[in-house]
Amino acid sequence: MSLLDKLLILSLLTVVLALFMGNRKMAGWSVTVVYAGQLVALWMMSGLGYGEISEIRSAVELTIWQYRLHWQFDALSWFFAFITVAAAMLASWFSAGGWAQAYREQGGSIRLFNVALALNVLGMLVLLASGELLSLFIGWELVSWATFMLLALGSMRYAMHYLVYAIVGAVVILAAMLMTYVQVGSLEFNQVAEAAAGLDNTSIWWIGGLFVIGFGIKMALLPFHLWQTKAYAATPGPGAAFLGAISSRMGLFAIVLILVKLIGISRLLEMPISFTFLSARDLLAWVAVFTIIFPTLTALRQHDARRLLAWHGIGQGGYMLLGIVVADDLGSAGGLMHVFNHATYQAVLFMSVTAVVYRTGTSDLNKLGGLFTRMPLSFLAMLIGIIGLAGLPPMNGFVSKWLVYRSLIIDGSPMLFLGTVIGTLGTILSVYKLIHNTFLGQLRLEHETVEEAPLSMVLPMMLLSAVIFTTGFFPGLVLGWVASVQAAVGLPVLAYHAGGIDSANGGLDMIWVVSVLLAGFAIATLIFFSGGRSRRVHQLDNYAGGHFLTADTRYQYSDNFYPGLMHLIGPWYRSSFKRMEQGLVSMLDFLSMLASGWHRHGHPSFYLLTLVVVVLFTVVM
Amino acid sequence: MSLQHLLTELVLMPIIAFVVGLFLVLMMRKLGARIQRRVGPPLLQPLYDILKLYGKQTQISHGLIHEIGIVMAVGGYIAAETFLPVPGMNGIADKGGLVTLAYIMMVPSLGLAMGVGQCANPNGSIGISRALTAMFAYDIPFILVIFGVAYQYGTTSLTDVIAIQQQQGMAGWGVVQMPLLFIAGLIALPAMMGKHPFEIYVAPAEIATGPMVEMGGKFLGGLFIMQCFQYYTISVLFVTLFLGGGENWLTFLIKVFAVAAIPLSIAYVFPRYRTEDVLRMMWKWPVILGLLGLALVMG
Repeated sequence: MSLLDKLLILSLLTVVLALFMGNRKMAGWSVTVVYAGQLVALWMMSGLGYGEISEIRSAVELTIWQYRLHWQFDALSWFFAFITVAAAMLASWFSAGGWAQAYREQGGSIRLFNVALALNVLGMLVLLASGELLSLFIGWELVSWATFMLLALGSMRYAMHYLVYAIVGAVVILAAMLMTYVQVGSLEFNQVAEAAAGLDNTSIWWIGGLFVIGFGIKMALLPFHLWQTKAYAATPGPGAAFLGAISSRMGLFAIVLILVKLIGISRLLEMPISFTFLSARDLLAWVAVFTIIFPTLTALRQHDARRLLAWHGIGQGGYMLLGIVVADDLGSAGGLMHVFNHATYQAVLFMSVTAVVYRTGTSDLNKLGGLFTRMPLSFLAMLIGIIGLAGLPPMNGFVSKWLVYRSLIIDGSPMLFLGTVIGTLGTILSVYKLIHNTFLGQLRLEHETVEEAPLSMVLPMMLLSAVIFTTGFFPGLVLGWVASVQAAVGLPVLAYHAGGIDSANGGLDMIWVVSVLLAGFAIATLIFFSGGRSRRVHQLDNYAGGHFLTADTRYQYSDNFYPGLMHLIGPWYRSSFKRMEQGLVSMLDFLSMLASGWHRHGHPSFYLLTLVVVVLFTVVM
Repeated sequence: MSLQHLLTELVLMPIIAFVVGLFLVLMMRKLGARIQRRVGPPLLQPLYDILKLYGKQTQISHGLIHEIGIVMAVGGYIAAETFLPVPGMNGIADKGGLVTLAYIMMVPSLGLAMGVGQCANPNGSIGISRALTAMFAYDIPFILVIFGVAYQYGTTSLTDVIAIQQQQGMAGWGVVQMPLLFIAGLIALPAMMGKHPFEIYVAPAEIATGPMVEMGGKFLGGLFIMQCFQYYTISVLFVTLFLGGGENWLTFLIKVFAVAAIPLSIAYVFPRYRTEDVLRMMWKWPVILGLLGLALVMG
């Protein structure tokens, strides 16, 4: 039995434990401990992450009709698995104390929640361990259904919405797999990779395209993104933190596997699109950039904190895909590192918002404000999270985005670069709105007695914040794993050091950047305190143009926070994607109506004729 | 280079930036005064203003974040100065480069925004919403400029950008090589400095000076210091990107003051743009020029 088997068994045990602990008080804690055990098991495999061993195989093999199913871990799987289990552990920790109690009191089932989370982790580990395309598909289905279970705890309606997308995705992936099997005669990764070089462009277009669509649905690539926001936002808080952190990245994992490992990005460059100057790679890069821009601008319009974050989750996925399809050492490292960075800050942001919801009962940005004085640690967590999300120094989000920017400059793609920067600027605007409307501004009368979230919620947030800062200070910690992943999937490997990268034409050393920034803050503090002593005043003691402010007068600015911007870009929001989806649904409705009409009339001879014609046609072709 | 030498540079660079920044502020105020046929303030007025504000007896704080915001706003720029090479001193310019500098320059804005947010004054928040929107406006042409320069010289290291330009003499300067990008940058420059006609976010008569509404004493003094650094950083950045940096301090300072003076004296005679018009303006002309300039550079 290999380490991988032990890990999977431990993960299975987590599910069983969650099932048996039920709604007991210690349920969350015991599950968290087992997650920690999984993390230790993963750490024992860290040779994968540091490139010391290339793979760990599972002892389990299944043979069905002479087809051999097998499982294994390499650096890519390990990297994603590590993030998955760590995110699950922290989410579970976050949920174990006060939150679980409140959830029970509201009539929720902690048993279901824990089981759903544990099933998600198990499914993801199985997916990440897949050794050929069929086991990949099995893992994929496990993940889809586990995700559905977690989403359904929040809102059945949105979960069903997701399910429709997931099933369509699965069918598309199945079709792509069948085509691969027909063309290659095998579903083994190395055999597919070898055969892919010999396939003609049309086949690669079909196979690659279908795979990207199928997996892209999970990743919420445009235009398949509509299911994600509402479903994630409605999921119970810690579940949303977990899903937002890593769940969608399973799509990215599979896309990396197919596009980079099996097909190769250089191959995509040789696949021109007729009548344009673009290649298949450029098409993907543009899909990624649109996935950055549109969801980010949509996030700007949200006034529910959870939806805002979920929209950003979609947008940040674009940076990852973009970095990977640029496929040089810097870009792909940036894309992969962003998976880790995104997981850290997205989890902490969802947790912080959940803490606010736990204390105030709402995530409506127009009904909050001024909570900093009541929940300072949650504020700190959100602050560190938004600096990471916006990609500003000194947090880790900056490093991965810097790598992507740098590779786009080297690549000579100004418009892609511009797209990524538009995404970053839009993010800055929207995250400022998030923190301003939640923690800054005027404290509402009904929130006067609000307290800081309990320690069980604050500690995981602080831990994640520390990780965000530390991996921004020493990006080499994560870049080591990323370099092993690059080596494992056949990308050019990044030469890094603890502080970032050295490069003849413009490197980055975060140790210096962060140190100087902190020194600057220290000097500015000295300058600040060299001034006269300041006196703290009440929040209503401010300039109101001659009015006297009282506690029952709202003196806050939150709704329609960017009127100037919306005046200009407001008309651009046309819900085109939603209409497209509605159009598709009505078309399906119409088709099914026709089909049922045919069926009821009953023309067996006609069906037979059609069938024969179709069969003949296929045979002749 | 020894560590001691480097540390000396790191200390000197922000101090020089502050002093030059004070004179830049003075020049702006003089220029504005002369255009309006006033005399303008005396030589040391900017310094007096800051000292007066720091020494004030009434210092009103709205809480910890109000204070941290000011610290972030000043500290971010102090850090930024060490990434900007000046004649004879490179600081840690090779550790970050152009893109890093552009993003460090956003840290003070975010700090200021947070500080203002804590004041719970809608006028301040409206001001910040406008200021961030303006940032969204001018950063688009600015980022095209950054890309153009980085592509033209094949590096994001500012020391290399300067070295290449100085090697080739005047003909190698960015302004000769990329005239359209230079103009695009110049149009964005007054907005980056928060000056006429793009300063709707302070609008004293309408939103009571916006972000500054709750700022007094050392809080406002901090913003004054930040402004000195801001003018300096942006001017020096343009000199570095387009005018070959500084061979020596004399030519360097002449270029820095010229870069700040010329566009602003033109812009001073325009009335204020509304926020949406700032966006419209910034996303149209400088972006068109910038894209044309990029096409020339990359073609």
